[in-house]
Amino acid sequence: MQRLCGLETEYGIQVDEGGSMDVVVESMELIRCYVSRDFVALWDYALENPRLDMRGFEVAALRNDKDETVHLQKDRQRPIALADLKSDLIVHNGARLYNDHTHPEFSTPECYSLRDLVAVDRAGERILLQCARRRTQTRGAGVVRLYKNNTDFEGHSYGCHENFLLSRDLPFQQVIDGLLPFVVTRQIFAGAGKVGVEQDVRAAATPYQLSQRADFFEVIASVDTMHRRPLVNTRDEPHADPAHYRRLHLIIGDANMCEYATALKVGTASLVLDLLEAGALPAFVLADPIGALKAVSRDASYQWPVALAGGRSSSAVEIQAALLAAAQRVFQGRDPETDWILAAWRDVLDGLAQDPQTLVGRVDWVTKKWLLDAFAESEGLDWERPEDRAWLQSQDLEYHNIDPDEGLYAVLEAADQVERVVAEEDVQRALFEPPGDTRAYFRGKMLQKFASAVRSLNWDSIELDCAGRCVVIDLKACVSRETATYYNEALDAAASVEDLLARLGTNPQREGAP
Amino acid sequence: MSDFIQYRERVPRPTKPLDDKDDGPDSGPRRPKVERPSTDDILKRMRRVDPNQARRYRQRTGQ
Repeated sequence: MQRLCGLETEYGIQVDEGGSMDVVVESMELIRCYVSRDFVALWDYALENPRLDMRGFEVAALRNDKDETVHLQKDRQRPIALADLKSDLIVHNGARLYNDHTHPEFSTPECYSLRDLVAVDRAGERILLQCARRRTQTRGAGVVRLYKNNTDFEGHSYGCHENFLLSRDLPFQQVIDGLLPFVVTRQIFAGAGKVGVEQDVRAAATPYQLSQRADFFEVIASVDTMHRRPLVNTRDEPHADPAHYRRLHLIIGDANMCEYATALKVGTASLVLDLLEAGALPAFVLADPIGALKAVSRDASYQWPVALAGGRSSSAVEIQAALLAAAQRVFQGRDPETDWILAAWRDVLDGLAQDPQTLVGRVDWVTKKWLLDAFAESEGLDWERPEDRAWLQSQDLEYHNIDPDEGLYAVLEAADQVERVVAEEDVQRALFEPPGDTRAYFRGKMLQKFASAVRSLNWDSIELDCAGRCVVIDLKACVSRETATYYNEALDAAASVEDLLARLGTNPQREGAP
Repeated sequence: MSDFIQYRERVPRPTKPLDDKDDGPDSGPRRPKVERPSTDDILKRMRRVDPNQARRYRQRTGQ
């Protein structure tokens, strides 16, 4: 793969103690279980501004759900500081682990390799599982469980966001127009599957749909992420030189359990961005992108028709096949991972066109539907009966339980009935080792090697205490492999922080108290 | 005194190949072959799932 990318996954959290739990405290305490010593807040929020819009303006405020606004008002009365509430941690593998709106979130380190990304995404599951087990021990009552899904079936969704670095030379309207046909139809292989429909009483009869998230998207483009969610998020936080780069923050995807689906979801998106930057992306204009997103997700015929502007019609498979054909023409043979993505993309589209069941163990919505159908048949359940559907919804939830002793996907994986795209050794290594060819290595290794000197960090900077002097190392330029390698090799060779700074060279640019 | 260290991107120089890890030149994500899964064991596990589990599972809106 040729593009820097990462995943942010918000997990659902539940404690089976009966009664109500305090999700604010529970999520905070769970994150803190990662460290054995006292929690020390290191994350630097000064450079974050989620209100900046790619289209060149800043919104006054982000939209929240009404119930979320009520929650926030209550939370402000808690005697807990923001830094404590979020409990932001940097993991030694370069990832960020924190409490995001009461959801434990694992943000992978930046990756250039799809293999690294899938491995560290799986490592995130293991890290959070360990936190949940420790929290279960320390709280004394009840079992803490985590779910890598995107809904509570009652209208509350939480995300699995993809991040891609792309050139700022491309006008953002072109990015929006180019991405819409892709993101609306990608769910045919990237959807995680869901029992039922939310936020749409007219569609209450739909028993099963492809996507966990499709019900929650209402507008084409906006800076919001929690209410009136957009197909293309316009938040402008590049975490790189803003003169040259954008960070595409794609919020529409489902959290995948299948490694194959994770790899294909991110890999195809990266190739579509490559096509966009190369001026080679096939042009499709959807008549109604929001309507098509929901219609494709809910189409039980698996024909997935899509209306195009001008009265023409196509299908999700045809649109994806056209994108694949363009990518094959331009990028076939570029590197092994690109060729893997192209081959997997072709295989999955063939499978969907001929017999989706051939994709059990590779595509989540297919795998989950196969399990649910087998269970419904075994128990004599009726998808139309509310009580039976509730039990199927419970099975849906359990598919995403990350505990290998309980989760349904985990049971399939333990029985070697799903297709892995990384080896278990890759996952074990990713628990502690950052990807070697990105700035995540510099971030993770700084904490391993010179932790006592680190005052704060962010994705693109590290603030050090160097003999009483405050020194900020700006990592914005480290988004290229070559620059990251230069920094990483300097860190490997450095015997001390002073030695590291000498190897990198210094360029004093600002005054400030240490 | 505060120092702010900033660099322009360096001139590209040779680095290790992206997938030069363990598995030779044709590595990349591997896709092992599996047979169509059987349902016997998984159905036993599914029968132990609490039918009301999803009804109790309530979350706050996230991003």
